[in-house]
Amino acid sequence: MKEIKLNGIEETIYYKKLDNGLDVYLYNKSNITNNYVTFTTKFGSIYNEFIPINKDKYIKVPHGVAHFLEHKVFAQKENPQPEEFFARSGAICNAYTTFKNTTYLFSGPKNLKENICFLLDFVQEPYFTDENVKKEKGIINQEINMCNDNLSDVLYEHIRKNSFNSNPFKESIIGEKKDISKITPEILNTCYETFYHPKNMFLVVTGNFNKEEILKEIEDNQSRKKFKEFKEIKIKEFKEKDNVLKSKEIIEKNTNISKYSYNIKIKQNNKISKRKYNLYLFILFSILFDDTSEFDEKMKKEGVITNSLYTNILNCDTHTIISLINETNNYEELEKNIEKELKNINIKEEDLERKKKVLISNEIFSFENIEVINDMIVDNIIFDNKIENNMIKLIKEINKEELDSILKNIDLSNKSIVVLKSNNSKKSK
Amino acid sequence: MKYEKINMGAYNLHLIQTNKFKTITVEINFREKINKESITKRNLLKAVLLNTNKNFKKERELIKETENLYDLKLLSSNIRIGNYSNLSFKIRFLNEKYTEENMNNYSLSFLLDIIFNPDIENNSFKKESVDNCKIKIEKSIKSIKDNKLKYSLLQLLSTTNNKPYSYNSYGYIEDLEKINEQNLYEYYKQVLNDNYIDIFVVGDIDKDKIKELFKEKFKVNTFKKIKKDILIPELKIKSKPTISTEKDDANQTQLTMLYSLNRLTEFERKYVIQVYSELLGGSSNSILFDNVREKNSYAYYINSNAKPYDNIMMIYSGIEPGNSEAVIKLIKKTIQEVSKGNIDEELLKNSKETIISSIKNSSDSPNGIINTYYAKELVNSKNIEERIENINKTTKQNIINISKKIHLNTIYILEGDNNERD
Repeated sequence: MKEIKLNGIEETIYYKKLDNGLDVYLYNKSNITNNYVTFTTKFGSIYNEFIPINKDKYIKVPHGVAHFLEHKVFAQKENPQPEEFFARSGAICNAYTTFKNTTYLFSGPKNLKENICFLLDFVQEPYFTDENVKKEKGIINQEINMCNDNLSDVLYEHIRKNSFNSNPFKESIIGEKKDISKITPEILNTCYETFYHPKNMFLVVTGNFNKEEILKEIEDNQSRKKFKEFKEIKIKEFKEKDNVLKSKEIIEKNTNISKYSYNIKIKQNNKISKRKYNLYLFILFSILFDDTSEFDEKMKKEGVITNSLYTNILNCDTHTIISLINETNNYEELEKNIEKELKNINIKEEDLERKKKVLISNEIFSFENIEVINDMIVDNIIFDNKIENNMIKLIKEINKEELDSILKNIDLSNKSIVVLKSNNSKKSK
Repeated sequence: MKYEKINMGAYNLHLIQTNKFKTITVEINFREKINKESITKRNLLKAVLLNTNKNFKKERELIKETENLYDLKLLSSNIRIGNYSNLSFKIRFLNEKYTEENMNNYSLSFLLDIIFNPDIENNSFKKESVDNCKIKIEKSIKSIKDNKLKYSLLQLLSTTNNKPYSYNSYGYIEDLEKINEQNLYEYYKQVLNDNYIDIFVVGDIDKDKIKELFKEKFKVNTFKKIKKDILIPELKIKSKPTISTEKDDANQTQLTMLYSLNRLTEFERKYVIQVYSELLGGSSNSILFDNVREKNSYAYYINSNAKPYDNIMMIYSGIEPGNSEAVIKLIKKTIQEVSKGNIDEELLKNSKETIISSIKNSSDSPNGIINTYYAKELVNSKNIEERIENINKTTKQNIINISKKIHLNTIYILEGDNNERD
C-alpha cells in the first residue's frame, strides 16, 4: 500500500494497484459512523466511437449508451437485486453517469466488507436481455422527458450544442429518444466488455474501517475472477475548431424570467498544467462577476439582475467552456455590461489574494465529509489520472503576472449566447 | 461528544463539544407560531439582515468579509416545522486551529452582528436595502412555476382550507407590497422579543468561552413561556377524494396525492409512520417504485413523504402523459395490499435498517447533530439508542394498523401535453 500525503492539509490517502489492474484508494477517518464507497469506470457519454476489445475497427454506438448501461448494470440475473441487498444492512446504493465516467456507489454504516464485495460482484457480472433492455427504454424516455422540462438542463444542452462542432461533449449524457430506440443488448455488451475491465476502473473507499482488512477483502475478491486480456482502449480522435458553432440562439419558453447564458470557448493552454489553468480561470471569472465584484453591485443596483451571475467551467479536453449564467428580463443590458467588463479587465492583487484564501480554505473544508472526499478523489482521477497532492502549493503559486500572461492568450470574443426567453403572453390555463 | 444545554433565561444555548470536525458550526433559531401574513415579512427580514449591516454597508463588502474570514459559510433559512415558522441563521467556519488566532471570536461576532447590528436609522431599515431584497423575494415567488413538482405540490396542498402546510413558503406578492422599511423594523423587534430562541454550537470548542461570549453579546432578555403546540390538527376523513387537473406545456405529467393521517398514537407518529413511508415509497427499493417504475415503466420517479406533525402524507410521481388514471389505480391497489398485510417481511426489515442507518449517520455531520438535539427540544424526540430500538420494535401488525389510519384526501395532476413534439 502506498501513501499519498496531501501536503499542507495533513491528510493521507492510501493507494494500491491490484494484480488485475484495478486501482484502489482508501481514506480512513476515525470517530465517524458511515462509509461511502464508489466503483468507477472511465466510460462516460463522450466515448461513443472506439475500437471494441479484441477487434480492430472503430465502431460508433448511439449517444446515451453509457447512461443506459449504468441503468442495466443494476439488473442482476439472480436475486437479490442490488437495492435489496444493500438495504439489508441499511445501506443505500446509487449510480451516476457523466461525460467521462460511470460510477456505482453505496453508503452505509454496517457490513462494509460484504457490501464492497457485492458492489464489485454486481458491477462485474452484468445481465442484459432483450426484454430487460426494452423495458428500460420506457424508464429512460421518462427521464428524458423530465430533463426536457427542466429549464436549466435545457439551457446547458444548448450551450454545448452551439459551442461545439464535433467535440463529443456536444451531445447530452442521457441521449435523445431516437438514440435510445437503437440500443440493443449486443451494443451494451460490446461497451461493457471494452470499458468495464479492471484496468479501466478504480475503487474508492472512504469511511471508518481497518484499511489492511478492507484491502485484503478486495484483493481476495478480485483474485477469484478472470478477465480478458486488455490492450489500451482506442478512442477515435476528433478535431475541434476553435470557433463556436453558433454565436447566438434565442428560444422562447413558458417561464416568467428569461434564462441567459454568455459562453466563451477557450482553447487549452499548453504552457501550464491543466489543473492550474482551471484554477486561474475560476479565480479570474469569480473576481470579475461573482457577488464580491463591482459588476455585480452595479447590475443589481440598476435592476438588471437580482441574483449574482453563476460561472460554470466545463473542461472539454480540447477546449474549456466558461458559462456566465443568470436569470433576467433585461438580457440586452446584461450582455452589454458583460462585454464591457471583458474588454477592460484589471485584476487587483488584493482580490487575487482573497480568492486564494477561499480556495485554500475549501481544500480543508472538503475533509469534513467522506462523500465530498470520495467525490474529490474520483474527480482527480478522471481529470488527469492522479491525485494532486500539492493543491495548496499550486494555489499559493498563483500570481498576477501569470494571470496577465494567460489572459493575453485567451480570445474572450469567441462566444456563443443562448437565451431561454420568457414568453409571458402564452399563459397556460 | 459532550452535550450541554444551558438555560440562558431568554434562550437556550446548546453546546456540543466534539473533535470530529475541523469546523465550528453555530446556528441560531427563532421560532413562532406560523401565520400566513408573516411569511413574506419573515422572508424579507432574513434577506435584509444578510444584505448589509452597520459594519458592512454594502452587500458586496459583507460577502467579501466572509471570504476574508477564511470563506466562512453564511446560511439562513425560513421553514415551517408543523405549526411553527422557524427562521435560522447559521455559520460554519474553519476552527482557528487551522487558520489563525482569534478567528473563532471574529467569526462568531460576525454572526451576532448580522442579527443585532443591522443598518438602522430613525427606527427604520435602509430603503435601498429593503427594495433590493424585495426584488429578490418577488423573483423567488415568481420562479415557482419553473419547478413543476414544487408547483404541483403547492397546488395540491392549497386545497386544504388554510392549513399551515397550504401556505406558500416563498411568500405572497400582495403581502410584499404592504411592507416598508418602518414596519419591517417593527417586525424585527417583535421577532427578537417574542420568538423562542434556540442556539446550537458544534465543534472543538471551549464551552466556557462560548458561554461568556453569548452572555455578553446576545442581547435578548424577554422571558417566554413555551407552549408545545407543534402538531397541526387532522384533516377530516373524506369518503371520496377531490381531484383537480391543470394542463401544462410540459413533457412529463406530475401526479401528486395527499393523504390524511388520522388518530395516530405517539408511537405511530414517532416511529411506525417512518417505517410505513419508507416501505411504501421511500427509496428505489420500495413497493411503489417496484410496482410503478420497475414493473410497469410508468414513471421515472415515485416517492412517498410522510409529515407526521402535519398529519399528512404525500405521494408524487413524474409520469408519462396520459397514464394518470392507470397510475392512480396502481397506487391505490398497492396501498390496499399493504393494509391487507401483503408485506414482504424482508422488505420490512430492510426499510427499518435504512432508517436506522440514517439515524446513526446523523452524528457524522454538524447539521445532523443539530437536528437531533433540536428535535429533542421541539417534539421531545428520544436519544439515538432509544429511537433505534423503537424502529426495530415496529412489527408488520403495526404497519397494518397504521395503514387503516391513512386516507386519500386530494389528487392534483399537472398534465403535460407536449409529449410528441420531440
